[in-house]
Formats: sequence, structure tokens, C-alpha cells
Amino acid sequence: MKINDLITPEGTKDLLFNECITRQNIENKIHKIFKSGGYSELITPCIEFYDVFTHNSSHFSQEKLFKLMDCKGRILVLRPDNTVPIARIVATRLKDAVLPMRLYYNQCVFNMAPSLKGKSAQVVQTGIELIGSSSKMADLEVISTAINVLSSCGNGDYSLEIGDIRFFQELVRKLKISDEEKETIRNYIKAKNYPALNDFLDNIGDNQVIQALKRLPGLFGGEEVFEKASQLFSDEKIDTILTDLKELYNKISKIAGKGKITVDLGMVNKTDYYTGVIIRGYLEGYGEEVLSGGRYDKLIADFGYDIPATGFAVNVDAVMSVEMKKNSVTDKNIDAIIYAENGFEIEALHTADKLRQEGSTAELSLFDTIEETIAYAKAKNIAKIIKVNEIVTEVE
Amino acid sequence: MSKPLRIALTKGRLEKDTIGLLEKSGFDCTAVREKGRKLILPIKDINAEVVLAKANDVITYVEHGVCDIGIVGKDTIMEMSGKFFEMVDLGFGRCRFALAVKKGTDFYAGYGVKTIATKYPNITRNYFESKGMDVDIVKIEGSVELAPLLELSNGIVDIVETGTTLKENGLEVIEDIAPISARLIVNTVSMKLRQKEIENLIKIIEENLQSC
Repeated sequence: MKINDLITPEGTKDLLFNECITRQNIENKIHKIFKSGGYSELITPCIEFYDVFTHNSSHFSQEKLFKLMDCKGRILVLRPDNTVPIARIVATRLKDAVLPMRLYYNQCVFNMAPSLKGKSAQVVQTGIELIGSSSKMADLEVISTAINVLSSCGNGDYSLEIGDIRFFQELVRKLKISDEEKETIRNYIKAKNYPALNDFLDNIGDNQVIQALKRLPGLFGGEEVFEKASQLFSDEKIDTILTDLKELYNKISKIAGKGKITVDLGMVNKTDYYTGVIIRGYLEGYGEEVLSGGRYDKLIADFGYDIPATGFAVNVDAVMSVEMKKNSVTDKNIDAIIYAENGFEIEALHTADKLRQEGSTAELSLFDTIEETIAYAKAKNIAKIIKVNEIVTEVE
Repeated sequence: MSKPLRIALTKGRLEKDTIGLLEKSGFDCTAVREKGRKLILPIKDINAEVVLAKANDVITYVEHGVCDIGIVGKDTIMEMSGKFFEMVDLGFGRCRFALAVKKGTDFYAGYGVKTIATKYPNITRNYFESKGMDVDIVKIEGSVELAPLLELSNGIVDIVETGTTLKENGLEVIEDIAPISARLIVNTVSMKLRQKEIENLIKIIEENLQSC
């Protein structure tokens, strides 16, 4: 007996009519921003080899990957991320392309969602990758593009957060502890879990670095964060990181306006290909970030081509859920329906084509009688009913 | 006035302790004390409201951002996990997770795979995985102490407060797994979009915690 033939798998859904229109509108307006900035689209396969996602700097946990086998018994996965496949293409087919490269994509990623949590397993992401430049201008370009995207989504009530993963990496590097311990600290800072972080660090010892790490989860907010951070710890590298980030903060604050940009030095993401400036964007009305990205200078080197890159991805489904709450777009009504009397089918087709060329939408009536056609037109709110025999007449 | 700050509160014992703490912090919680059957209740003096929910739901509401702040036990956080900021150890609701067996039995004796009964399968799995030990886990909804007595399992993983229930049923704790207490958790986006409000509230709460 079939029991799953009427439903979709958990974490997936069908989109109907106005949902499709909303999504398309969002994609169109975002892509307009990308294209006008000189970005070109790439499409990668849904299915990739498992090996693509198991390099050092991009470890995706097995449990979350959808896996399949190919005819030779090799493991395939539904892509859990868009940046890694693009890194693969850049290191292979685009190896001789002129740098910098500006690429964008719009496609699904697949991650197993925990059961019964209301999370999606299939999410549409659209985003850009700016490849082959480590300049500050590249960071600024990517972030200002992110601002343009966020301000065009929802009702413009957004917030963009910047940080730099190196601040944490530099601090933790000064401690003589194992990689596992570093990972534990990172997780506590990520969760802003002060109680556990304090206990854990107390067991390691007490010095200026430890004190600074303890304060790291609280290092977020506005401009005052830089002042606080510089008091916590100071050496040449850390000072440069902070000065650069502050300079970036001041610049993008000018673009976005006061209050839209915040800093979080305790932002230590899990997808660990990031190596520098990182960003996250939030929209009022959605409980998680809708945009995330940053600099990933080592990822493409995993595929044998050592060039820097930066970019971000927007969760289109998240933006969609915000915009669906705002105002529901509806499918436009059809302008006209054409009913052909027996023997005048070709004339009806011509009439419909003519209307369509003029920019109207026109349906053909598939009913035998004009009465049925009228009833149908009424039910579907079609304004014009056109009858075709020797002449073309509009029926009231 | 902006949208009120929504605080999800675990019903039951944590609820009373939290209300006590909020009142000590100078907030008028009359509406929560005299709640009747209402589930969303305003707190006077600050722009906030309290939502009463079961422990697991507190995490769900905070994760999805429909509540900004949650008060929930570390036991639930460990079992459910999820994405939120775990900001403050409130100190009350203190107890621990422990492995208990029938008094006098040697849990680790023999080569057979052991069976553990518990209400907390994830915590149990993580604990034994960290020891590199395979166990069969049976999820029990009611009194877990019954399982070893009925010889369904070799041991149990459960919350232990005083240990009286265990003792009265002839069980004893052989290993502590983790300490538990109430935590204040915050939705990751709320923390960023309503930073000042939330930080102020946490500051007031922390000050009154220390004077406990």
C-alpha cells in the first residue's frame, strides 16, 4: 500500500501561484542589483561528488547531507552549499579567466532538517562571489551590494552586522591548547554561552588572552565596540584587524545610515571557510539571519588554485516569508477568453494571438457552448468574452 | 510604543522562581500571578509580556524568534539543542543528570550491550558516545526508575535532585553526567535588533541574582 504518494517529504513544500510570483519578484530585484554590478550567472548541478565537500576548510557534517550512489558506487550528495561548487568551477574551467571574476547564482541548497522543527531541508539561495581580489575595495563592494539587497527586501527594516573571524583566531592562537579545546571555546562564544565559556576558560588559566576571550561574546553593538576591543588586547596584528574593520564600519555606515550597521566580534560562524571579514544580515520579522557571507581566501586553494575571494548568500525563502506577511501579491486576472464556434477554431487562434501581441492575456475556451464559457469566465473573473464565427464579437 | 519584548517562561517550578526574580528586580508581575487560563500575560513597568509554555516549546519559540527571550532548564537545552544565545545561568532549579543502577549491581560487568532507559535519549546517546560505548536506549515517558526494577534496562539516565526517589526504589547514582540549572536564552536576531532593551533587562536580572 502506498502511504506517501500524496505528501511532500518533511522540510520541503510546493509553492503555488502567488508564492511563485513573490519568489520571482524577489529574485528579479536581487538579480537586477547583481547584474548591474557586473556579475554573471552560473548554474551548477544539484548532485555533486561527496568529495567536493570534504576538504579541510569546508567540512560539512555527514549527518546533514542527502546522499546517493552513482552507478560505480561512488557517493554523491545533493549540494549543501553553493560557494564550494563555485570554488570547484573557478579552480578548473575558469582557471585562465581574467581576474577579478564576478559571479552570481540562484539555486537550492539541501541540508537535512531536524525532524518536527519547522525548518526547511531545501532552501533557495541567491548570492555573489567576487573572486581574485583581496583588496579592501572588494570587501566594500560586496558589503555595499549586500546593503542594496537588504534595503530592497521586506519593508527596508534591516540590520547588517560585520565582524572579522581573525580577531578570534589570533586570540585563540596565543593559547597553548588543542584544536578540540579551541573548537569548544568557539562554540561557546558562538552561542554567547557565558557560563560555560567562563568555566572552561578558568580551567585553562588566567592571562590577558583568557580575559579577552571571556569578553568576546559581548563585543557587539555600535562603534563603541572598537574602543572596548582595543582595551582588551593589543598587539600589532590585532590592532591592524581592528583598525581595518573600523575603517570599513565607518565607510559602510555612510552608505547605509546610522543604526543599520552593527559590529559583532563574537561572530564565529561554523561554515569555516571564512578567513577575514564576515557579514550577516537580518530582516525585521524573521528569526534567523537572511544573509550571510564573508571573505574566504583559502577555499579555492583546496581545489588547487590559490586565489582570494569574498561573497555572500541570501536565503530567498526567508525573504519570501517576510514579504508574504507584508502584502500578498495575487495572480493577475486573465484579460479575455475566446470562444470559437464550430469551424472557426483557426480564426479564434488568430484572434487570441493578436490580443496577446497587444500585451493582453487571452485564454481559449475549451467548452462546447457559449453559456458554459460565460459561467467559467464569471468564476475566474475574466473581463472580456469574445465569440468568433464569421465575425469577432464581444459578448456582454 | 514598539512591540513588547516577549519572554517565554517554562511552566511549573521554574515559573515561580523566575516570577520571584522578576519581582525582586522591581517588575510588577501581578498579571502573571493571577493568570487564570491566559497564556500571554503583560508585565507592568517594562514593555514586555510573558508567555507560559512547556520547556521544549520555550526553545522552539525562541529559536523561531516568536519569543525574544526564554527561561528554560539546562536539561532541556542539552536534550533539544538548537540555535540561540545562552546568556545567563540563573542559578535556580539546580539539579544534575546522573547514571543510576540497581543498588549493588556492576553496570560495566560483562561484554553484553547495556540497555539504558531514559526520558532524555539525546543526552544519553551523547554521553555514552563520548565514552566510546554502544548502548541500547529505550525512551520512557513516565517514572524511569521502574525500568531497571522491571529488568527492562541495566540502568537509567535521569535528572537527580536529592536522590530520595532513587533510594526509595533501591537505585543508586554511579556517575554524574552534567549539572543542571535554569538558563536565560535569547533569540540570535532579537539580540541584535533589540540589543539595548535586552541588555538592560539582563543587567537588572543579573544584579538581583547576585543579591540572592
